[in-house]
Amino acid sequence: MTIELRQLTKRFGTLTAVDAIDLNVGDGEVLCLLGPSGCGKTTTLRMIAGLELASEGDVLLGGTKVNNRTARERNVAMSFQFYALYPSLTVAENLAFPLHGEKLDKAEIARRVAKISETLQLGGILNRTPGQLAEGEKQRVAVGRSIIRDPSCFLFDEPLSRLDVQLREEMRGEIKLVLQDLSKPTVIVTHDQLEALTMADRIAVMRDGRIEQVDTPHNVFQRPANLFVAGFIGTPQMNLLPATLTGSNGTTADFAMTGGQTMTIEVDPRVSELSPGAKVTLGIRPRNLEISREPIEGGISTTIDIVEPMGAETLAHLNDGHHDLRLVTDWRVPLAEGDRVHTRFPPGATHIFTEDEQVLRTP
Amino acid sequence: MARRNREIGKAGWGYTAITSVVGFIYFFPVFWIILTAFKTRTDALATPPKLFFTPTLDNFTSVFYRASITTGTSQATDMGLYFFNSIFIAGTSVGLALIVGTLAAYAFSRYPLRGNDTYLFIILTTRMMPPIVVIIPIFLMFRLSGLAGSYWGIILLYTAFNIPFSVWLVKSFFDELNPEIEDAARMDGATEGRVFFRFCIPQILAGLSATFVFGLILTWNEFLFALLLTGVETRTVPVAMARTLGGEVGVDYGLLAAIVTLFLIPIFFVTFLLQNQLLRGVTFGTVKK
Amino acid sequence: MADAAHHRGGFGAWLLDPKRRGALLVTPAIAILFVMNIFPLMWSFGLSFFNYKASSLKVPKFKGLDNYHDVLTDEKVWERFQTTAIIVSASVVLQLIIGFLLALMFAKAFPMRRIVLMLVLTPMMLSFVSVGVFFKLFYEPTFGIVSFVINLFTEERFVLLGSPEGAIAGIVIADAWMWSPFVMLLVLAGLVSVPKYLYEAAEIDRASAWRRFWTITFPYIKSLLLLAVLFRTIETFKLFDIVYIITEGGPGSTTETIAVYLYRTAFQFFKTSQSSALAYIVLFIVIVLTNLYLYAVNRRAEEID
Repeated sequence: MTIELRQLTKRFGTLTAVDAIDLNVGDGEVLCLLGPSGCGKTTTLRMIAGLELASEGDVLLGGTKVNNRTARERNVAMSFQFYALYPSLTVAENLAFPLHGEKLDKAEIARRVAKISETLQLGGILNRTPGQLAEGEKQRVAVGRSIIRDPSCFLFDEPLSRLDVQLREEMRGEIKLVLQDLSKPTVIVTHDQLEALTMADRIAVMRDGRIEQVDTPHNVFQRPANLFVAGFIGTPQMNLLPATLTGSNGTTADFAMTGGQTMTIEVDPRVSELSPGAKVTLGIRPRNLEISREPIEGGISTTIDIVEPMGAETLAHLNDGHHDLRLVTDWRVPLAEGDRVHTRFPPGATHIFTEDEQVLRTP
Repeated sequence: MARRNREIGKAGWGYTAITSVVGFIYFFPVFWIILTAFKTRTDALATPPKLFFTPTLDNFTSVFYRASITTGTSQATDMGLYFFNSIFIAGTSVGLALIVGTLAAYAFSRYPLRGNDTYLFIILTTRMMPPIVVIIPIFLMFRLSGLAGSYWGIILLYTAFNIPFSVWLVKSFFDELNPEIEDAARMDGATEGRVFFRFCIPQILAGLSATFVFGLILTWNEFLFALLLTGVETRTVPVAMARTLGGEVGVDYGLLAAIVTLFLIPIFFVTFLLQNQLLRGVTFGTVKK
Repeated sequence: MADAAHHRGGFGAWLLDPKRRGALLVTPAIAILFVMNIFPLMWSFGLSFFNYKASSLKVPKFKGLDNYHDVLTDEKVWERFQTTAIIVSASVVLQLIIGFLLALMFAKAFPMRRIVLMLVLTPMMLSFVSVGVFFKLFYEPTFGIVSFVINLFTEERFVLLGSPEGAIAGIVIADAWMWSPFVMLLVLAGLVSVPKYLYEAAEIDRASAWRRFWTITFPYIKSLLLLAVLFRTIETFKLFDIVYIITEGGPGSTTETIAVYLYRTAFQFFKTSQSSALAYIVLFIVIVLTNLYLYAVNRRAEEID
């Protein structure tokens, strides 16, 4: 079983919510749709479910076009952001609800409910109604209800957004385990990158109705395809600095920063495709910056503006007079506000984005 | 292109057509009366009933003027006075009830006192009570005090009749306000009066006008009190209508339909304008949504 | 700050004390209600123990609970209660059915909904007298539209208001027509309060329309249905104007509701004390029903939270 989207588009009046996206989700694959709110990720999910009609393009489930099929005909399972538990039914009845359409006998229904409640540890709450449940329990029941049937695919809309931080961590692991056993194509919508990075086999980063990059969590983080993905993924955010290329020699290039300081950085060899004078954006993760009390070859000199201890690490804001650079170091490194430090971008850690915001990188 | 419309909760013009038919059937009695108002006496009494006829405004003119039998000149009827009475009595009493009711509603909403619920219950009960139960002693009271047949009497009675309704409805609007804004104003040194007039009242202005209009309709439609307590000078339209029905020389249905139609016009506007507040209005603010 | 008021002293300061502000604001409303409602009721409560007749000048005699005894053992009174109960139950049931169906129809969004909805809502805003006039006209045996339609099928002259059953039906139809929109409004409020995602979940779970109604829709409207029943029962219990206009209680006294009977006893036969006693019994019933209603209101408020 697979999910395939071809040129899928959704317009609400003049607003284009989803703009001609192509996407494949393989059998047993978990794909996260990740993006800021309003990027069209939920609309995409609802079009796969059949709750929303596509304005253009196709949805294929298992290779069959399902554009004109209703949600019930598509045989999908979905867990909703607000759980959508039926308030008048008990947990057991909620779990059994999707099975009533399947013409199963009572013993079989009871057996499946028992199995699911064991998997998700719902044994103690089977006779309660949703109003009497804690958020985490509601979440479990919602997941249980969506996996009790044998659907063609699983869809999750912001599954963890209503849980507190601690529960979220717990549930992330649990859901991941459950999903591994299902081996069905699964789409999870989320705005939380940590959720996407931990649970997904692949992540599709969306912005303004378009997919910016589809790749493994590792690659989305390490090899962002463009400026948006680079800035969106990773906390604290990647440092993105405007600079002008002044010259390059193989993999080493010189850049002039605003304010007159220059940097020499070892970057991707494709930098040679640019001619001197080209405007670029340099991206480097806060954890990759190297600092020193003494001037460094090819580095710049900065002042520490703010120091924010984060426990095991310290976040510091470095200022070269024109840019704010975020730096994350081990907490033992002594840093004080007002200190002068020198920093450089170590070899291979810098991403170069050209003026059209795309990355310059050897595939 | 016939594209299946499957979006839950939305329907197209086809659905509008079906509901319009049902809506029209439901509305038919009103429609029929309006038609009758435009018919001549012969058309109004025709069998089979006429759907197509030459409309006339005669019924409307004869609501206010009728030809004198002796002189042949037209002469004003008392209907103008009754319409004025209906408007004047309803307007004054509802206005008074709104002022008094708003003060009480504010107190019930903001100064929870011991026994508040009891007071609110008593207030609602006086509204739920059949008018016939109160009217027996009030009739005696008005007869003794000479209030019967005077504007003052009926206005005072209607004011009392509207207070429970105003209190409950306006309280439901006050309850929805965020009291933090008022507290913030108090912290900034605003007096209680200022808080009330500058912060609370402006925020519920729409609700107050809805309450006013609902009160108007209730009072405008009231019959029993008016039947027993108004005199020739202070008679309201519903009483006049009932008397026309019990007329001595056979009932002139065209005329009656014209009076009813005139009496309907304000109701249409109000129903349309207040659609979103209707539920709250007809349940005296006990059900909001 | 609060002490400043105390220092100035005097009655004004005492009155304007913040502690008394709530009571002060409520006073005018309570005062008017006292004069126009509560005092008269106390007066008639007193009268209900005498043999006072508003039409005679005789000095009333104290009769204790005799009036209550007379009223409660009067066959006629029980008949009137019975008539009222029949009209109330028939009308409320009819309102529930029609109002419910109308609400289902208007629960969807469609073009011009507001305008179509207005056609249905208008009856509720009319005066009882107007509605009475309408139906009196429709039921008119020679040229009334109802009689005309019936005469298309049968040759017999159709006099709806001629038989007791027909007259009751006539009243019930008029009242149900007028108040079904009220039930519709309440049910609609329940229907729109159902979160849309529940219906979507039911769609995903492939629930049948029947199951969807009983597990999702009904739980959301049942408390409002209860409110509608109680509210309409209280209101229909008071039914006076429509009966007074359409049948005047006839034929005979077969459509005389308790309100019409009270009116007759008090203002046509001037049995003031006796009618006061009956009025108190009616009042008691209404207070019980109002209590039930408020109980239902509060329960629903808790449900929503």
